Order: sequence, then C-alpha cells, then structure tokens
Amino acid sequence: MASTGKDGSDKNNKYDRQLRLWGDHGQAALESARVCLVNATATGTEILKNLILPGIGSFTIVDGHKVQGEDVGNNFFLTKDSLGESRAKVATELLGELNPDATGDFVEDHPEKLLQSNPSFFNTFTLVIATNLCERTLLQLSKQLWTNNVPLLVCRCYGFIGYMRLAVREHTVIESHPDNTHEDLRLDRQFDGLVSYCDSLDLDSMNKKDHSHTPWLVILYKYLQVWKQQHNGEAPKNYKEKTQFKELIKQGIRKNEEGVPEVEENFDEAVKSVNTSLVATNIPSNVKSLFEDPCCKQLNSDSKPFWILVRAIQQFVEGEGKGALPVRGTIPDMTADSERYIQLQQVYRNQAAEDVAIVTNKVHDLVQSLGRVRSKNAAFLRVVRCRSLEEEYNSATAQSQEIESHIADEDSDDEVVFYVLLRAVDKFYEEFNRFPGWYNDQVEPDIPRLKEFRFL
Amino acid sequence: MAAALPHVLSAELQKRVNECKLLVVGAGGIGCELLKNLVLTGFKNIEVIDLDTIDVSNLNRQFLFRKEHVGKSKSQVAKNSALSFNPETNIVAYHDSITSSDYGTNFFRNFDIVMNALDNRAARNHVNRMCLAADIPLVESGTAGYLGQVTVIKKSLTECYECQPKARQKTFPGCTIRNTPSEPIHCIVWSKHLFNQLFGEEDPDQDVSPDTEDPELAGDAGESAMKEKSSSDAVEAVERKSTRAWAMESGHDPKKLFNKLFRDDIKYLLSMETLWKKRKPPIPLDWENLPDTEVGTEEAGIRDQRLWAIKECCSVFSNCLNGLKDELSKQGEGGMLVWDKDDMLAMDFVTCTANIRAYIFGIAQKTRFDIKSMAGNIIPAIATTNAVIAGLIVMEGLKILNGDIEKCKTVYLNRQPNPRKKLLVPCTLDKPNPKCYVCVAKPEATVVCNTDKITIRTLEDKILKVALGMVAPDVEIDDGKGTILISSEEGETEGNADKILSGFGINDGSRLKCDDFLQNYSLVLNVAHREKLDEDKEFELVGDMSELQAKEEEETEKKREENKDDNQSKTNDVSDDEDLMVVDEPEEVICQPVVSRKRKAEDELTSSDTPKKVKVSDVQEEEDIVVL
Ligand SMILES: [Zn+2]
Repeated sequence: MASTGKDGSDKNNKYDRQLRLWGDHGQAALESARVCLVNATATGTEILKNLILPGIGSFTIVDGHKVQGEDVGNNFFLTKDSLGESRAKVATELLGELNPDATGDFVEDHPEKLLQSNPSFFNTFTLVIATNLCERTLLQLSKQLWTNNVPLLVCRCYGFIGYMRLAVREHTVIESHPDNTHEDLRLDRQFDGLVSYCDSLDLDSMNKKDHSHTPWLVILYKYLQVWKQQHNGEAPKNYKEKTQFKELIKQGIRKNEEGVPEVEENFDEAVKSVNTSLVATNIPSNVKSLFEDPCCKQLNSDSKPFWILVRAIQQFVEGEGKGALPVRGTIPDMTADSERYIQLQQVYRNQAAEDVAIVTNKVHDLVQSLGRVRSKNAAFLRVVRCRSLEEEYNSATAQSQEIESHIADEDSDDEVVFYVLLRAVDKFYEEFNRFPGWYNDQVEPDIPRLKEFRFL
Repeated sequence: MAAALPHVLSAELQKRVNECKLLVVGAGGIGCELLKNLVLTGFKNIEVIDLDTIDVSNLNRQFLFRKEHVGKSKSQVAKNSALSFNPETNIVAYHDSITSSDYGTNFFRNFDIVMNALDNRAARNHVNRMCLAADIPLVESGTAGYLGQVTVIKKSLTECYECQPKARQKTFPGCTIRNTPSEPIHCIVWSKHLFNQLFGEEDPDQDVSPDTEDPELAGDAGESAMKEKSSSDAVEAVERKSTRAWAMESGHDPKKLFNKLFRDDIKYLLSMETLWKKRKPPIPLDWENLPDTEVGTEEAGIRDQRLWAIKECCSVFSNCLNGLKDELSKQGEGGMLVWDKDDMLAMDFVTCTANIRAYIFGIAQKTRFDIKSMAGNIIPAIATTNAVIAGLIVMEGLKILNGDIEKCKTVYLNRQPNPRKKLLVPCTLDKPNPKCYVCVAKPEATVVCNTDKITIRTLEDKILKVALGMVAPDVEIDDGKGTILISSEEGETEGNADKILSGFGINDGSRLKCDDFLQNYSLVLNVAHREKLDEDKEFELVGDMSELQAKEEEETEKKREENKDDNQSKTNDVSDDEDLMVVDEPEEVICQPVVSRKRKAEDELTSSDTPKKVKVSDVQEEEDIVVL
C-alpha cells in the first residue's frame, strides 16, 4: 500500500479508522480491486460510494440510460442540471470526487449490448455489481462471469423491500479475520522449544521479583507437570478437575513471613487462564472441510495457489504436525518482565517459523514456485461457494419445494415471500415493460396480473 | 423532487414529511449519511448542529467532505455539500455545541423529531434530557466498526437513554500512573498527562511526578521515604515550580527534560524502597548513555507498525519537543495545545515517551499504531455501517411521523447473521425504568462517598457534571435553610469549591437538591457516608438507597465466603483518598445488545413465528440468504 494518496494526503491517516478493522492486507486487497457497476441506480451509486470512500483501486460504470427526473429525486449522485445526460458519465464524475485514490471510468452502453459486442469486457473485474437488471440480461451476465469465476453481486430494490445475492463459483479467503479465536498455545501438545524453555526456569529458586514476574504461560506449564505426575500423565479434563488444578496453582503463590499469601498478579492471570488455555488443540471444522474438498484432494495443473496451500497444510497435519495445524506463533499480553516475555514470544515464533518452512517446502514440492506462504493463519482459511443464478432461475433446478413451504401460509411474515414477489415483479416488467402499480389507476388490475406469474 | 416517493409513502405521510421540522445533532459519520437520506426522502426543513471541524481521518466515510474542507466546520460544509446536490431543501447549520445554553427547551420544541448522530456519551445524555424536557421524540443511534444500533426515546413511553446504567470508563489510581505502572496503558496515560503538563491545560489531577502520598508508603516504611523526600528537596523545589514553567525556562531542552523525567524522577521513585519490595524496580536512563535496544518485530518498514528502539524514541522525543514548542509559541502568551490523536506531533510525543517509560519499568513496548488506538480510544468506523444505521434512523422517523411510535423498535446491526440468519435484529422498546434518575417524575440518586474527603469542586465537576451529566448545576442542601452550595451564576459560590462536604454539615443521609436550569432537570441527591470504598474509588453512584443496601449485603456475604477460603490472596489495602485517573471515553459509545435484550428479541420473534413452520435454515443450505 502506497503511503501517500493521489491528493497528497497520508493514507495511514485518511484510512486509520478502517485499517483497525481489516488491517494492511485487507486494505491492499481493497486497493487492488477493480469494481464494475451495472446501472447507476440509487442503490448502485450508494454501493459504489461505500466502496470508493475506503479506497478501491478503480470503478467502471456501465449504463446506457440518460438521467431522468425520477433519478434526480432518489439518487444523490445525479443532479437536476444533468437531466438528459448519460447516467454513467454523470455518476462517474460525482462519485469520483469522493476519493481521488479511486480511478473512475464509464461505458455509455446497455449491458445487454455490451454482452453481445464484447462479452470478455466483464472478465477483467474483481467484482461486478448489477442493480435492477432484468432477468434475461442478468442470466447472460452471470453465465459469462461464472465461467470466468468473477463474483457477481445481484441487487434489486423496490420501495421498502429489496434483495441482494452473491453469485460466485468459488471465493477463497486466507485471512478471514474471525471475531473470537482461541490463542494457539499448545499446552496440550508441548513442542520441544517450549519444553526446554520452561524447563530452564525454576520457580522455587527464584527471588521474589522474578517469581511474581514469571509469565503465566510458564506457570501453567509448570503446574501442569505437577498435576500430570499426580494423575497418570493426564491433564485436567473436566470442570471439577480444572477447579482442583486452579487450587493447585493458587498454592504456588508465595507467602510472607506471617504465612499470608503475597499479591502475585501473574498467578492470578494463570488461574484465570486455566479454562481458556487448557483447551485441546484442534483443527477448526471450516479447515477440516477444506481438506476433504475435491479441489484439495485432486490437485492438477490448473489448481489455484489457495488449494495447493491447503493441500500442503493437510500434508503437514498428517505428517510433521501429528494432527495439528502449524503453530500460529503469537502469545497474548501478560504480566511479566520484558526479558522473559520476549524470550517466550521468541519460542513460539521460532516454532511457527519452523512449521511454515516445512509447509513452504511442501508447497515447493507440489508446484515449482509460489510466493510467500502465510500458513500461520492456517486456522482462518475459508472458502465461499454459491449456486449459480442459472440453477436458481431454472425451474428444474430451483428449490421450489422449500420456497413453497415458506409461502404456503397466507398470513406468513416470512421474508421469503418478498423474494418470490420481487421475482414476479421482474417477470411482470419483462412482459409489460413497466412495474406493477406504477400508474395509480392500474394498482388494482395489476394485482391479479402479478399473481399470474408462476415461475416455480 | 423525490419523484419515486408517491409510490412508497402514503399521501398523508408524504405531506407530514414535507412539513415537519427536524433537528440533526452531529454532522459526522452518521450525520452525513443521515442528511443525504433525509434530503432524498423529501424532508424540507432540517437544522444540523456540530461543534467539530473536519479532519483528514474523517474522509474515509464522511462523504460530504473533501480534502480541501479539512479544518472547516462540519455542519457548514455538510449543509453546503448537501445543498449542492439538492438545492430545494432548507438546511440551517450551527457550528456550535448542543450543550450551549443557546439551545434550551424552547429551541428543542421547534422540532417534530430530534435525530442524534453523536459520538460521545455526554452529549447523548444532554440531548436525552432536553428531549424529555421538551417532550419531543428522539431517535438515538451509534456505530462501532461493523456494529450499529438505532433506538427511539419518547418521554413516559419508552426507556430513556439513561434508564440503564452504562459501563463506566476505566480509571487508574493516580499512584499507579505516577509511581508503579505495570501495563502499557499506564505509561500511555502518563504520557498524555505529560503532554498536558508541558503544552496543554494544566490539571492538578494529571501530575506526572513521583507521588509521595502513595498509600503504599503509609506506616513505618513510608517514614524512610519521607525522610528521603526532605533530602531531595532540591528536586522538590524544581517540582513545585510546575513542570511546565520549568520546561519553558529550560527552553524545552530535550536533554534536560529527558534527564529530569527519565533519570532523576526515576531515581527518586527508587528511593521509595517500599514500592520495590515486591516489584521489579525501574531502571533510570541517562541521555548521554542510552541503551542499544534490539526490538524484534516482524513488520519492518512501516513506521506506525514496528516497535521503535530506545534511541529512536529519544530522537523522536527531541523532534517533538522542538515542534510542539513552536506550535505553543504560535499560540502566544497563555496559549495551550490540545492533545489530539490525529495530530502527528502529539501522537509521536505520546508514543516515544510511553515507550521510554515502559522500557524503564520493564513493561512491553507498543507500536505507534497500537498506542494510538489505546490513547485515543479509537473506535473503528466505515461508511457502510453508518449508511445502514442512517437508513434505519429514517425508517424509525417515518413511523413516528405516521403516528405509529408504538411500532418503533430498537434495531441492532450485527457483524454476522444470528442463528435465525438475521443481520438486523429488531427488539421491542422497553418501558421507562421506574428507578431511572433522569426520566421519572421526581428523580433521586444516591452517592456513596467520604464526606470528610470530597470537596464541593469534586461534587460539581466529577459527580454532577461527569457522572450525572449535568451542564450547569445549582445545588442547595435540603436542610430547611436552603444553604446554597453551588450556583450556576458566575462568581456566587466559587469560594466553596475547595471546602469539604462535611464542612457544610453534609453527612450520611443528607439530601441535596440539584437543578439544571438548561436541562429543566431536578434531582435529589442522597448522600451515603462511608469511610472507605471498594477498589480505591472516590465515590460511587447508586440508583437509590434500597439498591445500596442490597449491594452491601451481597458484598458482606461474598466477603464471608471468601474468608472461608484461606488461599484467598489478600487484597491490596489501599487507602481511599487518592484521585482516580480518567481515560477518555470512546468516541462512539454504543450500547451493545445486552444478553437480556437479545433473548427478548429472540422470544419476540419466536412468539410471532410459532404458528408456522420454521424451516428457514433448510432452504438456505446453499443459497445462504441473509435477511437484513
Ligand atoms: Zn430514564
């Protein structure tokens, strides 16, 4: 990410509030994104606004319409003095002013024509957003994008209701930024570096200061050894045993001459961490299912780097990892002197580096050359897949029965009814070239006409 | 204008939209989005007020502002930008604080609906009270990262903003900050105080020098430190001159300041031996002999994201002093700087001094990026969340205009769909809390404190203004004589400020009548005298006396339980007279959905859903429909 924007502003300052949400890698992904908007409707420009402000690389608007009165009323980025001009052009200009870092471009043409004359035009984008596009064109567009694995976001708004649908064959995520994750401390699968570091420390012979500044991770390790000796090598398993284990740790707190326990924050932290730190190291289900995915099992020359990485990690798990993912290599903040905190941090980092090196080798074995490997985030791998629009819109493959079960009840307030309604409205529009209820005197007669559409 | 609307809003509602008058409080992240939505919905009379000016860090989301607007009034620029898109609306902009006495109940009564788009709790409290006093419906909102919330407040009908107590800001005892820091945040708070001592508004509560009244020094161990104190009177003499005056005289010489703060003061702390019996003692640094520190960090390069070595911290320290000194002198005689996380020098200053102090005390150092987050209490913010929330504000507003206020909801925006696949979760509005100290007919609250220690100044500044949200309180004792303690008229009661409560005969059971004329708010404050409070607190507020009794009984019970346990570690016996340090509150405080609310939302949905089959999850196996 370049640190200076096109307007000379410091990007770290301008984007500060969002960098804290998605980090540098997220920002870099955003800045390399090329987004195409089909139809500069109110919804369309609103979406683009929210993408341009945080700094996507570029946007292109495809729209063959001219600015009309109704546009000016509901679209903030079309003004009265632009009536009759190209909607694509006007919206591109006004949206472009939002952020000089995002380059804007437009094509004054109808998407259905563009699909005929130059279908590969759409293949070059990171994402295509289509708003209020009629079903026929939508299907053509989605077919084109599906084959080229470009994500398509379908949006349709109608008064107070609307829907949004993502159609992507496969979208892979290496850093999924999950909300809550356990620390990866491996107290149940102690690696050599951890063992030798902890064994080099002796709590009993420490002076008072060192004793109360020993990282709690080390304390847990030490008392785990004690516990295991008393319990046939088993760690505390259930609530009762964990409570007993906490007592054991508490007894390690130094006492003063009168036998009153001293204040040792690190021991308090150790006790508090028992429940969260003594969890079994396991492989998250989302990662497990990736290992089972055919794309992972059957690599070929067309396989994406993501799947090669998944395969390498899977091989690591089955081999060197002995059933566990590579060590993440980070530890939480804790009461400790910086010297030993940094040493402990290093112990985990070294192990992580070692594991990453093994995975990198495996990747090299799987394919000649690939860039940097980020397997320390192995637990955050994710894949998103959708059904194609074609399957959804084709009555043979549509999930008609389930949908019908939702709308069978006339008094239902299930939102699926809106989905059905909006699809019917699309059909209506295709036949009458206007929306149902558009003319006040047509509202009543339009209702039975709308009900006619049975696309299921 | 708004050509598509006839098909969406009923004719009657559209008429009301055209005629109604709105007040939008705040023209920031939510405010910009809200103004856009209001203009497009067809609202014709909008007044917007904001105290702030535009900063670079606003530009990633506050889309009515551009780079060339930085430094200008948010409300003015927002008005002009919105009008340039849609010139047919009447927008009045005020570049002012909503808590100013210019905006009294009569001002609020001009409006049909007030919409908050605020980023701080003090202003939210105030607008809440103004709307209660004027009996105007208020749409309240907040965002934090991907999360957001909208709710509606109407006198006597719903909970008010202050019906449920909010989590208090985290505070640190003064002696922890000044003498015995143990976490990065302690060093960061110290550095912010240092900034204010040197360049900003001097506040006696923000002293950064060693604290000789540390309660840990009490008893005979303290005596020796006291003796040490007299032997280091030279240092003290410098001290009493005020850090700022001393720094000015030395011309903000980096070497002199460094050696005072990081060598002499630390040596002085070391002389208080009691403090270091159980702690790792700090290591004083000398400007002439700085350690070579190797700081292992992955992300080399980006200045914000890597740890600075001590030598680098020192050169930054030196540059900052020069730069800040110049800025201060530009302000002229008696001028001062205000610490701002988005100000390059101010932020660099806190980063380097906090890290030097952390090094001295053997505390983990932090990157500038992390320190900014902690020092500025930064809440992440993006346009998308603000846009969603602003949309919901308008929806609630339309219900109110349509006469359907009882249909209004609190709506939470989640990051992930909930188990029922909802991203937006509506919950019914709660009835007013009969024990609320704001919105009931005769509000009462109880303050627990030591009446021999609390001064009238503390009562006014910390209890009435900060904790109870008053702006300009008048206070008299309900003793039949009507003794006036605090008057909002200037010059009438300043002489009382440093006197203690018991000096006016205030003791356990006293009742204080507190009035805020502007907020049209009267509160009876009951005083409960206690010699000592838990966790070194200066005072504590409780709803009423019965709550206090229940709480104390529960605590006695808890202590009894704890005493049974002989392994229980002894709680630090800290005396009660120390001042608490306050870290600024988050920019955009929102009330996160509490558990009971969530459950209620689910209950509500389930009950209305019961008659039909709930099978949503089945269909969505593949389609993954998320209901907004
Ligand atoms: Zn209330």
